[in-house]
Amino acid sequence: MPEQYDSEGAVSSAGMGGAMDLAVTEAQTLERTPGGPEGTGPAGKPRSLWSDAWRDLRRNPVFIVSALVILFLVVISLWPSLIASGNPLKCDLAKAQEGSQPGHPFGYDGQGCDVYTRTVYGTRISISVGVLATLGVALLGSALGGLAGYFGGGWDSLMSRITDIFFAIPVVLGGLVLLSVVTSNTIWPVIGFIVLLGWTQVYRIARGSVITAKQNDYVHAARALGASDSRILLRHITPNAVAPVIVVSTIALGTYIALEATLSYLGVGLKPPTVSWGIDISAASPYIRNAPHMLLWPAGALAVTVLAFIMLGDAVRDALDPKLR
Amino acid sequence: MAESILQVSGLVKHYPLTQGILFKKQVGAVKAVDGVDFELARGETLGIVGESGCGKSTVAKMLVNLEKPTEGEIRYRGEDIAKLSGKALRSVRRNIQMVFQDPYTSLNPRMTVGDIIGEPYEIHPEVAPKGDRRTKVQELLDVVGLNPEYINRYPHQFSGGQRQRIGIARGLALRPEIIVADEPVSALDVSVQAQVINLMDRLQSEFELSYVFIAHDLSIVRHISDRVGVMYLGRIVETGKDAEIYDHPTHPYTQALLSAVPVPDPVAREHRERIILAGDVPSPTNIPSGCRFRTRCWKAQERCALEVPLLAVPAGFRYVGGPAAHDSACHFAEEKAVVGNGNGPG
Amino acid sequence: MLLEVRDLHVEFRTRDGVAKAVNGVDYGVDAGETLAVLGESGSGKSVTAQAIMGILDIPPGRITGGEVLFQGRDLLKLKEEERRKVRGAEMAMIFQDALSSLNPVLPVGDQLGEMFVVHRGMSRKDARAKAVELMERVRIPAAKERVKDYPHQFSGGMRQRIMIAMALALEPALIIADEPTTALDVTVQAQVMDLLAELQREYNMGLILITHDLGVVADVADRIAVMYAGRIVESAPVHDIYKVPAHPYTKGLLESIPRLDQKGEELYAIKGLPPNLMHIPPGCAFHPRCPMAQDVCRTDEPPLYEVNGEEPARRSACHFWRECMNG
Repeated sequence: MPEQYDSEGAVSSAGMGGAMDLAVTEAQTLERTPGGPEGTGPAGKPRSLWSDAWRDLRRNPVFIVSALVILFLVVISLWPSLIASGNPLKCDLAKAQEGSQPGHPFGYDGQGCDVYTRTVYGTRISISVGVLATLGVALLGSALGGLAGYFGGGWDSLMSRITDIFFAIPVVLGGLVLLSVVTSNTIWPVIGFIVLLGWTQVYRIARGSVITAKQNDYVHAARALGASDSRILLRHITPNAVAPVIVVSTIALGTYIALEATLSYLGVGLKPPTVSWGIDISAASPYIRNAPHMLLWPAGALAVTVLAFIMLGDAVRDALDPKLR
Repeated sequence: MAESILQVSGLVKHYPLTQGILFKKQVGAVKAVDGVDFELARGETLGIVGESGCGKSTVAKMLVNLEKPTEGEIRYRGEDIAKLSGKALRSVRRNIQMVFQDPYTSLNPRMTVGDIIGEPYEIHPEVAPKGDRRTKVQELLDVVGLNPEYINRYPHQFSGGQRQRIGIARGLALRPEIIVADEPVSALDVSVQAQVINLMDRLQSEFELSYVFIAHDLSIVRHISDRVGVMYLGRIVETGKDAEIYDHPTHPYTQALLSAVPVPDPVAREHRERIILAGDVPSPTNIPSGCRFRTRCWKAQERCALEVPLLAVPAGFRYVGGPAAHDSACHFAEEKAVVGNGNGPG
Repeated sequence: MLLEVRDLHVEFRTRDGVAKAVNGVDYGVDAGETLAVLGESGSGKSVTAQAIMGILDIPPGRITGGEVLFQGRDLLKLKEEERRKVRGAEMAMIFQDALSSLNPVLPVGDQLGEMFVVHRGMSRKDARAKAVELMERVRIPAAKERVKDYPHQFSGGMRQRIMIAMALALEPALIIADEPTTALDVTVQAQVMDLLAELQREYNMGLILITHDLGVVADVADRIAVMYAGRIVESAPVHDIYKVPAHPYTKGLLESIPRLDQKGEELYAIKGLPPNLMHIPPGCAFHPRCPMAQDVCRTDEPPLYEVNGEEPARRSACHFWRECMNG
């Protein structure tokens, strides 16, 4: 009775196509409580994680606002002269601590430099430290975590103990000790330090999600076909395990920007003449009573930037978490 | 009997139980499979039934080399596949494929149907030249009763039954001789189960496949199998042709299992004897001495605790012959019809 | 009638549209009677039960019509506070997955005792004694010692017994069991089903057994209601339905399951897929899959016809129930 075999397919080809099939799974989800043989159904599994997430994000005002803010920050960090015509290092001591004036809306700082120009130029440092440190953390953490999760065994146990040690290091104290011996005045020591202390966070997440993905039958199926480890890791595990890493990284990005500012404030991060919000906040803090504008603008910019990244991370997390749907 | 293509002998899988974090020491073992022997002939279906934890899925994993046996041999056309590696292993893998239980986790949600069914050709490029692959995938979709135009869709766009067809198509891609199916329909709705079972039946004759069909549902196993093995706590306790097992069971566990199956027929039901077993299956870390079923067996005597019963034709039936004379690992094997003779309606 | 559901409608609002999960369900159960509600995934069998118990997730769910009369009161009109008093004390539910229905960090004795502390105001000590008594009642060996054990220390069958004990604790008039044995092995399944049936007789409770398994139903049910696409398509005493089904869907289901006692050739397979609840076919929802479908089935939704005026009552939602019964 061959026509019988075709019937199931024929129903779907009869027009409603994908939407129809989708609803079949939807129906199974409804009937799920708290399982049933049908409960082995798609409950909690991604229908199509990325397209669904994108659909959610586009309608989420938090995402739209934070994405616009971040886009703006990225653009001015690449081309600060677009909105600031001055030179952040051209200062006039005579104007030190003066308030807002025409053409200099944020006033002048303690060295007589234009606060507006410095705040705009400071974006570059914050964004590049944040983005580069996050990239480093995500790559190192997910590579080590992914391999440990996939291969397991003694290497995994050893790595887990090592991450425990890193978790025990207090960040600010570690920064004061390690960075005080560095003389280079570039962003690299700061990035290196953040990566060194930050990778463990991503390592744990990546290891966990690889272990989860590894237990899926499609991984067993690939292995039964004779697929190599690299193929399984790249084709089957990475695409299914990468979402949590992205979420954690986006949220961490905001905190790394704040960390750079903290380290610079404490005098172990970047040093003048580099233009950075942290340095400016540090320089302005003794004068908070008589010239608060010197502190307010760079601190405000820092707060907005950190908040934007954390909100973006939050929105992405919600969109990628099927349980919240 | 047709040519035997797979011989399994003395198959054992123990998972060590360890204590300690960095320096592990073994404190025991989960004896998931504890001495299993069987053969599979060309074009034949061997059904393996048993309750959860009896080791049937572990046997399946070892057959497709997802797990390495602790001991024992799996000979495919004379070669012990557990000892192969590299190229030789890959070529054996081409011939023994698996269909999984859960159609929702066995397909990668990030790959299209075309990529999923075509992946075997990427791993074994010698089977199909690159240009042919898309056509081959579409042929396979057609063979399993899906519209070949679905090639670019994602798994979530399909229902459970359709997904299982995709899984079957992937298993067929390399034209294997043996398909190991681990509970292939237990996650599906009743009305869809029949469609998939019929498909597997048809494919078997079309491609001369041999099946190892693993399931807990005794009715489905009877329907599809030529021979059946009943597993309990890591061993086969009774094996024979389907009618021998279902109509003339001699092992008490098989009898209890059969009598416990709910039959969709209230009339037949009332005429059936029911054997309700006491207690639960013992833990596979601590298997009873002698006969492993004795702790739940109503026939158990002292001998059962001392002597391990062998899987062989019981002495009482050896010279009598007939359908009851099949392998049964019980010291006190007796025939007992528990299923009824099929006089019910339907 | 102990419980009577009348013309119940439930829908779910999802991102992709409105899914009509329950579309006019009528059924009833008497004290001491077992009604089996049979259906596949998406048939609405569990959603109906959740609506009766008042544990439906609202939103996305919404009860859009109907009545749930329990001992004469319409539960849907009660306040949440009153509803809570009914739940557990007068009607209780048993779920499929006992492990996730029990709190993993509390000993089972405490969870059983909790019922008496909350509803009956008993002291902890008395509640503990009651818990032991209940565990003995559902035949858990060495109940006195095991009362302090945690859920994971019990086997699947034993956990399901604990769930049954919990449901029985306050001696409710009605128990709803949603796939109570589906997760269990056959030999254990038989033990649990027997226990449930025995306790039901002893307490003279009404039992609604929700299942997809035609075999389990045949064992214990007095009446069967078959659901499809959120409606009852056939309801009948258990013997009649297996002897001569009066709806093509029931008939198809019965024919599509392989039998233990005989080896068939090819299985009968109902063609097609269960319907999309957002686009339920017009007329009879089963018509695209039905071998007997005529033009009228595509346009007119069949009412629940009285079949033959048989007693006890038997109904079928098929325009051609006569033809279906004759061949």
